[in-house]
Amino acid sequence: MQTWRELQQHPENFSSYLVRSWVLAAIRQFFTDRHYVEAEVPLLAPSLPQESYLEVFTTTLEAPPGHFTPAYLTTSPETWLKKLLAAGIGNCYSLTKSFRNQETSGPFHNPEFTLLEWYQVNADYHDVMKETEELVVYCLREVQKRQGRLKPRLTGGASLKISYQGQALDLASPWERLSVAEVFAKFAQIDLPTHLTLEPMRKAAGDKGYSVDLSTSWEQIYHQIFLNEIEPHLGQGQPTILYDYPPSLAALAKTKAEPPHWAERFEVYIAGIELGDCYSELTDWEEQERRFEIEKDLRKQGGKQDYPTDTELIEALKVGLPRCSGMALGVDRLVMLLADVDNIAKTMFFPAKELFGDASGQ
Amino acid sequence: MSQTDQIKKGMYVDFHNEPHLVVEASLYSPGKGSAFTRTRLKGLLSGKTTDFNFRSGEKVEEIELNTREMQYLYSDVTYAYFMDPQTFEQKTLPKERLGSLLPFLREGDSCLVLVQDDEAVTIRPPGKVKLKVTEAEETVKGNTSSGATKSVVVETGVAVTVPLFIKKGDIILINPETGDYVERA
Repeated sequence: MQTWRELQQHPENFSSYLVRSWVLAAIRQFFTDRHYVEAEVPLLAPSLPQESYLEVFTTTLEAPPGHFTPAYLTTSPETWLKKLLAAGIGNCYSLTKSFRNQETSGPFHNPEFTLLEWYQVNADYHDVMKETEELVVYCLREVQKRQGRLKPRLTGGASLKISYQGQALDLASPWERLSVAEVFAKFAQIDLPTHLTLEPMRKAAGDKGYSVDLSTSWEQIYHQIFLNEIEPHLGQGQPTILYDYPPSLAALAKTKAEPPHWAERFEVYIAGIELGDCYSELTDWEEQERRFEIEKDLRKQGGKQDYPTDTELIEALKVGLPRCSGMALGVDRLVMLLADVDNIAKTMFFPAKELFGDASGQ
Repeated sequence: MSQTDQIKKGMYVDFHNEPHLVVEASLYSPGKGSAFTRTRLKGLLSGKTTDFNFRSGEKVEEIELNTREMQYLYSDVTYAYFMDPQTFEQKTLPKERLGSLLPFLREGDSCLVLVQDDEAVTIRPPGKVKLKVTEAEETVKGNTSSGATKSVVVETGVAVTVPLFIKKGDIILINPETGDYVERA
């Protein structure tokens, strides 16, 4: 049954959907209080940044009549915000829809989803880790407050302990902070600094019993070990901030000066959900141009839709991006967590699988 | 065009030399051109559930299993016995392969037996089994607050937790994997 019909019959089910509305309001209040500017950016664009692993939605703009231009639905608000940062907007954010084709299956994806992306200037990724903790706690507090207004006995005092799908979680700061090298040593018994090249990594994976051959890449092995042996341990009991990534895994991040040049990137995991991703932003336009070329080639090799590169981003970097860090946070997943539901579809009045049927996922 | 992975929900695959049922499968791209299929696999021999992420393009051997409708005859200390009602051919399965289903089977019940190279591997559990309630206490009048439950015994001798309105002689549907009451038939 469609969600709206079900709600008509069971109005008591509205309460978990209300969490989304409260979280959206809380996010805006949080950033407004901190004097961030909310930037509304286009969803329809003539070009996109090159990202090898995303598939895009393509359409056609007709203007003037009879004149057709390919157009694309944006995969994130990132390039717009970076142009505005070059223009001098200062601290800013977008709370907007993003579109990623083929991301349809499983409990954590919907092809259109709500992304919060914010940029703090004169800040590095450590500053944003702290701000992320504060934002999530703020949203939790607002949700608790609203639920308290409906059912006074559920206010729960000052506790930041929540239950997600039966699992107890404590969202109080500071969250657990682990580097990628630490988790590889701890959960996969691999010394990552000596396994940053293909040969030792391939050998380690073979010894573990994975089927690897000459066509298997370093990134594939890294991700397979990460997904199978490491990810299940992250964000259990409390959120985990996983930081300092191998340089090849962060196309838009600044890398550290000293070897092995870890990329200044972090991700947040809560109860097995990957909530968000942050970089100390790359400000070097030549490096950015070079990385776009590599990503474009990878797209071609992977049989993905070719599209024009957003070269204006390179122009913006030439003008000069201030030192800044940007975080992309999956709002739907934050809502899942705070509403205690096990599927992203249960946070949406009109999930894609309801609109497009099973063809759009399971 | 784009790489599609062949692993699908409901398929049988060889994983670490044991036939597994693919319980869940979804595509996932963590980045940098790497695509994965996240799966939940259930070992047909061990009954153990494993989560595993396959790389896109990784070779996985699909297993051909035949499904045969057979009658459950009886079980002894170690084995459960099944018979093909057409050919009278019999197959045996170690009892632990039947997992939580066995207590809900009646002699003569029809089952779907999965067969590989003429050997029975396991049975495909039905989503629901229909059983008669043989013992049930009368519900005390007035005790009707929503969510209240009681314990009854069904014809195979197993206890099931049910809503208060269920009476002796009722036919009820049970999920054999969890042992949970589903509805009154």
